[in-house]
Amino acid sequence: MSSVIDCKHARLQIGGEPQALSGDVAQHIATCTACSKFRDETLAMESRLRSALELPLHHFRDSPRKVAPRRFALAASIVLALLVGGGVWLLRPQPALAAEIVEHVRHEPGSWGTREPVPPAVLAAVLAKAGVRYNPRLPVTYASPCLFRGHIVPHLVVQTDRGPVTVMVLSHEQVKAQDKFIEGDYHGVVYPAGSGSIAVLAPKGQEFDGTLKEMLEGAL
Amino acid sequence: MNPRPRGTTATSAFARLLETLRPDLVRFAFWLARDRAVAEDVVQETLIRAWKSREEIKDPAATRPWLLTIVRREHARLYERKRLPTVDLADVEAQGDPALAGDGDAGLEDLRRAIMKLPDEYREPLVLQVLGGLTTSEIAEQLGLTQPAVLTRLFRARNKLREIYGLAPAEDVE
Repeated sequence: MSSVIDCKHARLQIGGEPQALSGDVAQHIATCTACSKFRDETLAMESRLRSALELPLHHFRDSPRKVAPRRFALAASIVLALLVGGGVWLLRPQPALAAEIVEHVRHEPGSWGTREPVPPAVLAAVLAKAGVRYNPRLPVTYASPCLFRGHIVPHLVVQTDRGPVTVMVLSHEQVKAQDKFIEGDYHGVVYPAGSGSIAVLAPKGQEFDGTLKEMLEGAL
Repeated sequence: MNPRPRGTTATSAFARLLETLRPDLVRFAFWLARDRAVAEDVVQETLIRAWKSREEIKDPAATRPWLLTIVRREHARLYERKRLPTVDLADVEAQGDPALAGDGDAGLEDLRRAIMKLPDEYREPLVLQVLGGLTTSEIAEQLGLTQPAVLTRLFRARNKLREIYGLAPAEDVE
C-alpha cells in the first residue's frame, strides 16, 4: 500500500506533534528511511527539550526583583509592650481610618462565610503582592490583596476560638498608639506595628482579646 | 488550644493541586516573560485568582489548562497595566541568568538559551505542549488559532532548535 502523505507533510506532523503521530504518518515512516530518521532525531531531542523547559526553581529564590517589596517589620518587643499595656488607650481612635476599615469589610461580606483554609501558596501570594510578611498562627480562611487608601494590603480572615476575625496588615498606615474603635455593628483595634499598623476587626459582641497575641505575634 | 475549623488538617484537593502545579506555572510564566521576578508576580496573581474562582472548576483534569490560561492572561495584563519594558535578550545573555543554568550540563543551558531566543509565537505553543501537556487542539483554543496554524508553529519551533544539535532543519512548510 502506498503512503498517503508526502515527506513534507510527514515532517510537519512529526515536528509539530512528535508524541502523537497519526496512522498516515506512521504508514509513511514505515516506507521512508529519511522521515524515519527525522522522527528518531526529533524524539531524541524531545526528552532534552522537556528537561530544558523544566527549569530548576531553586535559582528563582534569589531572583532580583525590579521593585523591592516593602517589608513590614514588627518587633516582638513591640508586641509585648502592646500586650502589657493592654487597657491603656493613649490616643483617641482615628474615626476616619476605623470607618474606612469597617466600610472595606462591609464590601466583602463573603469573607467571613468560608471555613475552608486558604492554601499556603495563596496566602504567600497575597502577602507577597502587598510586600509584607506575616505568619498567622491561626487558620486563615480568607486572603485577598485589597486596595485600601491607595495601597495593596492583605485582607485576611483568621479563625479564632470565638469565631472569624478580620486582620488587615496596613504597612502604609501609621498610628501613634493602639486605637480601639466601635463602628456600626463592628468593633476593632488598630495597633502600631513597625512602620505601619495592623487592624483587627470583629462583629460587635464577639471578643477576640484572647487571641490577639497569636494574631499579632504572627507579624514578622 | 484553639479549636480548628473543619478542613484545616485535611487540605482540600484543590489546594493540594495548586501546590503541585505551582512549579510548572512558575516555569511557564518564566518562558512567557523571560524574567524571573515577573514570572513570580504573574503566578502570585494567578494563584489568588484561581483560589477565588475555584468553584468554576468541576473537573480536576481541567485545572491545569485552566491555570495556564490564567497565567497567560495575567502575564498580558501585567504588561498592559504596568507597561513593563520588554526583556532585552542581550541583557539576559550578558547577565547569564541563573534560571537557565544547566547545573553542569552545558548542552542543557545552550538549549535553554536557544528556547529563549525563539520568537514568542513559536516559544509559547512549544511550552504549552511540552511543559503544559496540552494537545494542539487545546493550544489552538488557548491562542485563538487554528489547529494547522499551531502545528506549523510547533514544527518551526522544533526546526529552529534542531540546529543546536547540528541537525539539518527540515524544509519549511507554507
